[in-house]
Amino acid sequence: MIAARTINFTLNGAPVTADVKPHHNVVELLQAQFGLTGARETCGQGLCGCCTVIVNGLAVSGCLYLASFIDGAEVVTVESLDAGGKLSPVQEAFIETSAFQCGFCTPGFVLMVTQLLDEHPDPSDDQIKHYLTGNLCRCATYPEVMQAVKLAAKKRKGA
Amino acid sequence: MIPFDLAEPKSLSEAIKLLDPDDATVRPIAGGTALMLMMKAGVFRPQKLVSLRKIESKYSGIVASHDGLRIGAMTTLGVIERSAEVRKHAPVITRTMITLSNVRVRNVATVGGALAHGDPHMDLPPVLMALGATITIVGPKGERSLALEDLFSGYYETTLEKNELIAEVHVPSQGPKKAAYMKVTTGSADDWPALGVAVVMEADGKAIKSARVVVSAATTKATRMKSAEAALAGKTVDDKVLAQAGDAAAEDAEILADVRGSVPYKRELIRVYVRRAVRAAIDGQGAH
Repeated sequence: MIAARTINFTLNGAPVTADVKPHHNVVELLQAQFGLTGARETCGQGLCGCCTVIVNGLAVSGCLYLASFIDGAEVVTVESLDAGGKLSPVQEAFIETSAFQCGFCTPGFVLMVTQLLDEHPDPSDDQIKHYLTGNLCRCATYPEVMQAVKLAAKKRKGA
Repeated sequence: MIPFDLAEPKSLSEAIKLLDPDDATVRPIAGGTALMLMMKAGVFRPQKLVSLRKIESKYSGIVASHDGLRIGAMTTLGVIERSAEVRKHAPVITRTMITLSNVRVRNVATVGGALAHGDPHMDLPPVLMALGATITIVGPKGERSLALEDLFSGYYETTLEKNELIAEVHVPSQGPKKAAYMKVTTGSADDWPALGVAVVMEADGKAIKSARVVVSAATTKATRMKSAEAALAGKTVDDKVLAQAGDAAAEDAEILADVRGSVPYKRELIRVYVRRAVRAAIDGQGAH
């Protein structure tokens, strides 16, 4: 029996502590111990983007990231985006362009688009496609996602 | 995943001591993006992983000098992608990154891991090999230097001892050399490649002095295509020379069939894409 270890990290701005075993991944940790279900393990291979979380400012696949490795890190999940009760510009843009159908992939897309616009505030079509190549939407709302990114870019500039 | 133990040594030398050359269930983990897939699939069942994430910070950084780049093995692909020094000294690497897996994997995967894993489908090994990269390997007996082309010994196999670790990658400056990397995906656009071709050439206009041509993914390991290199050296590029280089590589490659293509199909891809990659490098198009 391999013992759990205690890790400390910042989750959406608040310092937290958790007990994890070496084989647990970040998605398992967030769901089981913090009740956060925005990041979900879906393809389990880092291809689909549904498990996206931000670790120390960088997007990672939570399903391929050992929970032990976030000891001391700053972790941000999709649940932080509407903190204070107001949707983020990216969330608003997804709703206004109907950039989803079933909505399962949406948390991952919203987080990745937020990162994309942090890096490229006014992205070209090519930049959008390359940045989101690791996010899959089985309802195929890709054209609407492209519109959402452009609308979100406008909203962020106006904000 | 099945449970395993995790060690997090603070130094490279401590990490090496924790590895056991006689126990294949004790293995190092860097970014872990590739290893996690193997563990989830159950093809790799470790008793203990030795994480390299807490070793000295000098192993995750890029230092440029007049003759090229020294890239610490723990440097993530994302850091390499965004590095102004890499863009200046080896722009073919920067261009390759755009279509290498995806942003999240690049943010976590390391260059040392990408090499030590010995996976023939990865994009960086053929590019670094074509650039003439060498690696520094550290083990219990000390340090040794190895040409990257001598690292890969087979399908997911390398010449590293089980208690040796890659510490650093040295990439000579591209300088005026012309370079390109092309890959072919046969499933979705961002699938693992059926073929990768990297070309780095010394050339004056269309007159090639020397060439390095490396084929990957279609083959059991990233492999220099010396017959294609010979077909290009000293020649002025025209359709005939390109066809000779493509044919030479297609004939020499030891090709592996998989879900991305049969042997005859991949052989034809090599024939066509060696030609295209040389043309792209000469035309300054670089990569796609």
